[in-house]
Amino acid sequence: MKNLIRYKSIELDRKVFYPISIVFILLSMCFYAFVTLEHEGHWLTGMNNQIVWGIPHVFAIFLIVAASGILNIASISSVFGVSIYKPLSRLSGLLAIGLLVGGLMVLVLDLGRPDRLIVAMTTFNFKSIFAWNIFLYTGFLFIVVIYLWMMFEGRYNKFVQQVGMFAYAWRIILTTGTGSIFGFLVAKEAYDSAILAPLFIAMSLLFGTAIFIQAIYYIKTTFDVNTEEIIFKRLKKLMLYFILAVFYFTILYHLTNLYATTHHDYEFFLLFEGNIYTYLFWIGQILIGTLLPLYLVSSKKFYNCWNTLLLSSLLVIIGGFVQLYVIIISGQAFPLDIFPGYIESSSFGDGEVAKYIPSIYEFMLGFGGIAIALAIFVLGILSLEFIPDSLDDERLQS
Amino acid sequence: MKKYEIKLDRRNFLKNSVSVGLVTIAPGVFLQEIAHGRSLDEPASDKIRWGMLIDTNQCTEDCDACVTACNEEHGIEDFGRPTTDTQWIRKLNLTNEFTGKKYSLPMMCQHCENPPCVDVCPTGASFKRADGIVLVNKHTCIGCRYCMMSCPYKARSFVHENLENQLPHAPRGKGCVESCNLCVHKIDNGENNTACAEACVKDGHQAILFGDLNDPKSEISKQLSEFGAKEIRSDLGLNTAVRYRGI
Amino acid sequence: MYKKLYIKILLTFLLVFFSGTSITHENISHNIDIASGDKCVEPTDIMRAQHHIFLNKQSHDTVVDGIRTKKYSLNNCINCHIQPSADGTYPSVKSEEHFCSGCHIKAAAQVECFDCHASKPFNNEKIEEEISKK
Repeated sequence: MKNLIRYKSIELDRKVFYPISIVFILLSMCFYAFVTLEHEGHWLTGMNNQIVWGIPHVFAIFLIVAASGILNIASISSVFGVSIYKPLSRLSGLLAIGLLVGGLMVLVLDLGRPDRLIVAMTTFNFKSIFAWNIFLYTGFLFIVVIYLWMMFEGRYNKFVQQVGMFAYAWRIILTTGTGSIFGFLVAKEAYDSAILAPLFIAMSLLFGTAIFIQAIYYIKTTFDVNTEEIIFKRLKKLMLYFILAVFYFTILYHLTNLYATTHHDYEFFLLFEGNIYTYLFWIGQILIGTLLPLYLVSSKKFYNCWNTLLLSSLLVIIGGFVQLYVIIISGQAFPLDIFPGYIESSSFGDGEVAKYIPSIYEFMLGFGGIAIALAIFVLGILSLEFIPDSLDDERLQS
Repeated sequence: MKKYEIKLDRRNFLKNSVSVGLVTIAPGVFLQEIAHGRSLDEPASDKIRWGMLIDTNQCTEDCDACVTACNEEHGIEDFGRPTTDTQWIRKLNLTNEFTGKKYSLPMMCQHCENPPCVDVCPTGASFKRADGIVLVNKHTCIGCRYCMMSCPYKARSFVHENLENQLPHAPRGKGCVESCNLCVHKIDNGENNTACAEACVKDGHQAILFGDLNDPKSEISKQLSEFGAKEIRSDLGLNTAVRYRGI
Repeated sequence: MYKKLYIKILLTFLLVFFSGTSITHENISHNIDIASGDKCVEPTDIMRAQHHIFLNKQSHDTVVDGIRTKKYSLNNCINCHIQPSADGTYPSVKSEEHFCSGCHIKAAAQVECFDCHASKPFNNEKIEEEISKK
């Protein structure tokens, strides 16, 4: 019974030419943007002294959060003992590594002094959640590598559950840490909330699953991995639960803000004022990212149709990106209330909504992170047996 | 050359006055004098807490002498790109929403006792010196800008441009975050005043008063106890060293 | 077969990477007139080997503790070692004429100091300019 699942590695042939060329193009663009910014300074980006974190951070946090969530597939199999996901565990670990490294690379390349990465890795201020995150991220990579090793090495298969449990706990802490980067900023009205941590956990599960569906579809169509009903139904159900979870925490987050009078201004600004963030929130995040995919995965009409699942996961990815954009940028664009009860004006943008027009360089950095994730994925499936040879119902149920 | 010589003279004068203080003034005052005019090889002392008192009644909307003086003192250039240009100190114009009264005041790093920027800095580059000055150690700043996210006063700027011709006493460079350093080089030289405070007096206003908050005999402490002053965003409990009067 | 090729490439890379002869200050000669003062704060061989250690310690002491002793301060180095050329201008830190860059460019050891610090003595030109304006 045990030997029913077989894995395969991929030959270097025409099938992987397409992703490799994408990786090559995106990475060289990213490198060009990095060198230009490093040489000229950050004034070339849309970021400024008001909007200090921009598109690169949206990409980076999206990738990091998704990395944690994508490992959930492996966790379900080894922690919760749902054996159906077992053939997918290896792939989930590989993608987790890829996404995390990609996200971290974007963060590092956007630093003012990326040449001082060694300083960041050797000097720590343990009061900073950021410093903790450096440990959480590197630790995560280390644990996932061990996890994969346990999965690959037949003699160590028995440890998979323990390592998986550890990775699961680590994952939750990691996403909490990422959410807390924002949650601990007392000064900004948009961020001062502990709900951001569970919201980020829900987001990680959703984004991770959505990206995983894309990956499954890719290996299914490109490398002839047979999929049948069970895996499809399971993934669809996961999507449904996680969309609802994110929706729930989003509502909760805005309701708590609406309850606190001091945060009314920000909520009004975001939800009703009719600026770019209002549209992004209602159309991008709620309509495209939540309601539409919710309809697609719950409606009976689209039973057993891979294309709708694929579409809904794509919508979730777009919506998730917009959601992070709204959280990160709108929170900074909304003016700080340094003197409550006064109308403020200055040469430094006090009292006015900060403008942010992202530049092409920022997108080039961000897509470089995606390229790294893709590169690690391709290198992984080329060199080791990550891909199950079939996902048909008989094998999954064994 | 002229300007430099004047500075040297003033420094010498201060040194001399300290040594006169050593000889003549009573022991209690004498200790305080030593602490203020510490020698170059002595580390900053935690017995002192430098701070500023800003009297908004003395500050006028059309005057930006403090801003100009700060820029000149630290060699802060204008690149003609207002959103990314560095501002260590800025003039903030306020109108009370209820009464309609207008105020004008300088806003800069408030040198908190519990600074959020120090808490969030991953490398510890953002730190508070023993004498209460909040600084960025540009040798370890990696330019992540998390401190800018955390500052309730928007006091910090990121250097977005390549800089040239920096001043010897004010090292600044692309890719690091910086903010008001309370003219730390002047304090270490024993001048014990800031460029903005000097410029304000020179311009005929008395809006900025610099001094030691821990010394009950200092002018700033006397004024604080006599007139009282407000801490901006006191709800955050940061205990700032820059206080405002008249608002 | 491919594996062998891969290992060969890796080994070649490592060999090239680590085989560069180490360049120390002793290998490089430079004759720079020290115009003011007849000797440096430490003997030449000590300065050549350890100037960065002195500077690193000084930078920490100055920034963190506010100690402003002159002896090992970068400004002190610059004031003595960087002298104007015949036409009265100071050498750019990017050129080999600059005292620090003279060695550091040859040794391909990047100096971070002048990203922020002034690479020439206190800006006399500016003051002279101001005086001439008045």
